Formats: sequence, C-alpha cells, structure tokens
Amino acid sequence: MAQRRELIKGSIDSLLLCLIERQPMYGYWIIKELDRRSQGYFKFKEGTLYPALHRLEEAGLIRGEWQTLPSGRQRRYYHITGKGLSRLATERSQWQDFLVAMNLIIQPASERREVKKW
Amino acid sequence: MVTALSHYLDSVRENLRLDHSVESEVIHELETHIEDELQELREAGLSEEEAANTCLTLLGSAKLLARQIYEAHSQGSWTQALLAAMPHMLFGLLFVVSWWRGIGWLLGMLVLVLSMAVYGWWRGKPAWLFPWLGYSLLPVVAAGLLLLYLPQGWSWVAIVIYLPLALWLVYSITVKTIKKDWLYTSLMLLPVPAIIGWFVAVEPVNQLPEHWLQSIEDFAPWIGLTFLALGLTVATFIRLRKRWLRVSVLVVSGLITLIMVAYYTEGRLSLPALLILVVVMLLLLLSPALVERTLRHTGQHSA
Repeated sequence: MAQRRELIKGSIDSLLLCLIERQPMYGYWIIKELDRRSQGYFKFKEGTLYPALHRLEEAGLIRGEWQTLPSGRQRRYYHITGKGLSRLATERSQWQDFLVAMNLIIQPASERREVKKW
Repeated sequence: MVTALSHYLDSVRENLRLDHSVESEVIHELETHIEDELQELREAGLSEEEAANTCLTLLGSAKLLARQIYEAHSQGSWTQALLAAMPHMLFGLLFVVSWWRGIGWLLGMLVLVLSMAVYGWWRGKPAWLFPWLGYSLLPVVAAGLLLLYLPQGWSWVAIVIYLPLALWLVYSITVKTIKKDWLYTSLMLLPVPAIIGWFVAVEPVNQLPEHWLQSIEDFAPWIGLTFLALGLTVATFIRLRKRWLRVSVLVVSGLITLIMVAYYTEGRLSLPALLILVVVMLLLLLSPALVERTLRHTGQHSA
C-alpha cells in the first residue's frame, strides 16, 4: 500500500495534466474520473488533489476559472495552458521510455527467453 | 452546511494564512466539493450525519490540507524576493559606502521607505511589504527616543503626546500584521536585534556624541555587512515554501547577525550581553506566534 502511495505521489502531476487536457474539469469530477478510468486504482483524497491543483496553477500549467452550472451552483473548472501542454508532452515521452525500460527488466525470465528464441 | 463541516472549513481558513482573496477562493472551492460529496453520499442512502462523517474522513486533517495549500501558494517570485531584500540592502549600503553621515541620503532613504510602505499597504499587504514596514517604523521609535533627550521641562512633550501616539501606531500596525500572518511580523522585526546589538556594542559609556559617531564610522563596513546578510535572509525567506523552513531561516539569521556583531566588535559585546541579546531576538521573532494565538482565542470567544 505504501509503495502504491509513493508511485501515485510521483505521478500526480502527469495524471492531472492528462485528464485536464481532455476537457476542463473541477476537483470533485477529477477524483471520480480518475477512480473510474483506473478501475479503482487511483483513489485521490481531497488532501492530495487540491494542493496539487493549486501547485500546478501557481506553476502556470493549468488555469482555474469559476463557472456557473445550469443548476445555479458554481464550480471551479481547471483548463490546461500552453505551458501545461508542453510539460505534458515531455512527461508523456518520459513515461513511455520508462515503461519500455521497466518492461524489459520486470518481465519474468521465462518470457524473456521466449522473446529471445522468437 | 452541517456544523461539523462548517467547523472543518473554519479550521482550514484559520490555518491557510494566505491573501484574503485566495483564501476565499480556496474555501469556496472546498465548499462546492463538499456539496457534491454530500449529495452523492445521501443518494447512496446515508443519513445526513453519516454523510457528513464520511465526508470529514475523506477530507482528512484540516491543518494538513491548509498547510499543503499554503505551500502551493507561499513561494514568492524572484522580483518579490528582491523587493523584500531591498530595504536591508539599502540600509547596509548606507554604512558600507559611508552615506549614513549625509543628511540627503538619509532623507532620501526615509522618503523611499515610507513611500514603499504606504504603497505596499495600499496594494493589499504583499509579503515584500513587511521589511519596508519594519524600517518605516524605526524613525517613529528613534524620534521618540530623541525627544527624551530634550532640555529639561520639554521631555513631557514626548511623554504626554508623542510616545502614546507612536506606541499606538506601532501597536496597531503590529497587530494588523499578526492577524495576517505572525511570520510577517517576525519579518518586520528582523533587523531589530541587529540594531540593538550594534547599539549596545558601539555605544561608548560616558563619552560625547562625537566619539559615538566615530565609533559608528569605525564599524560602518561591518554594520553594513550585517544588514546585507539580512537582505539575503529575507530573499531566501520569500523563495521558501515551507513554514518551518521560513521560521528556521529567520532564527538562524538572527543568531548569525548577533554573532557577527560580537565577532567584529572584538569583545565589546560581553558573553552575558550576547546571550541576553539572543533571548531578546528569540522573543522578538517568535512571540508574534503566541500573540496570534491569543488574538484568535479572543476573537473566537467574542464571536
């Protein structure tokens, strides 16, 4: 569990930028969407989400804007900025390299032999 | 909203210590989040109380949440760091390049310090204001002390009229600053221990003012260096995010400047005097935290 927490901690910014890139979202929606898309793997607490959102906003990677819903309620939607898009592109490419390298090392020895034979 | 959740939001607000506009936005955002959370929990069949308790568990510690949001916003830009360091740097330069004896330079400095303090106060009290504010209060205190040296019979002007007004001004500005964030009061008071240290170390007992001025002249480069060091401290303070690091930087720099005074004056500051100055420095820099707590308790009781 602690390992999973550490893994998530290191990837919060990438996860949030990825989600917000698809469409502007607000905090509660982001928590639910991450949970749904990861099939329950990424369960963010508010104490993790909001500091991360505010940190990204201070860094100019996202921009928060208040919008009034048809119900009259207000929500703070986060939009990705140009700087956020370029950071996301860099992080995506780093993640791809990392995943390829990890797969080469982490897969069981039997599978590696099969790959070699093939 | 359920009382427990209102208390939670109050606790977050109390510990945020950000600009009022940012604080309001953060609290409103958390309110809307709680609304959504409560609605979903109620729709899942939970009672009002159960929904509120579950919501509180999901939110976690109010203090931790406030601290993490504070850290997301607290770092000032390099421009703000430079602006905040500037009054110390200018004060230091007055001594390093021997401008302190020129009345024109002193008046120029006074006008600049007062203008920046008024401008910063009017612009919503950003973090860079407080070092300027500290220096702008110095002439008020110094003028009061000088009035005490007026010819006999005239010192009542200082005691009856000037001192109460000056004390009221210093008190009200300090309280307003503490209410914003006690750390800013410490930032404002940062040069005071160094000033007292130099005053104690340089002041020759039973000697004429000319000798005193000569003493200042002799130590001017070192006096200047002390204030330049304070400028670096303040710039570092503005760039740091974590509160405990900010407190540590202020205390360590207070210690270093007093040690600098003792070192450069070669024994003029005795060990007991140095120790007393260290205690005064700790009291000055850390007591605003206690005053803030007292003010909050008083506010809560009267509310």
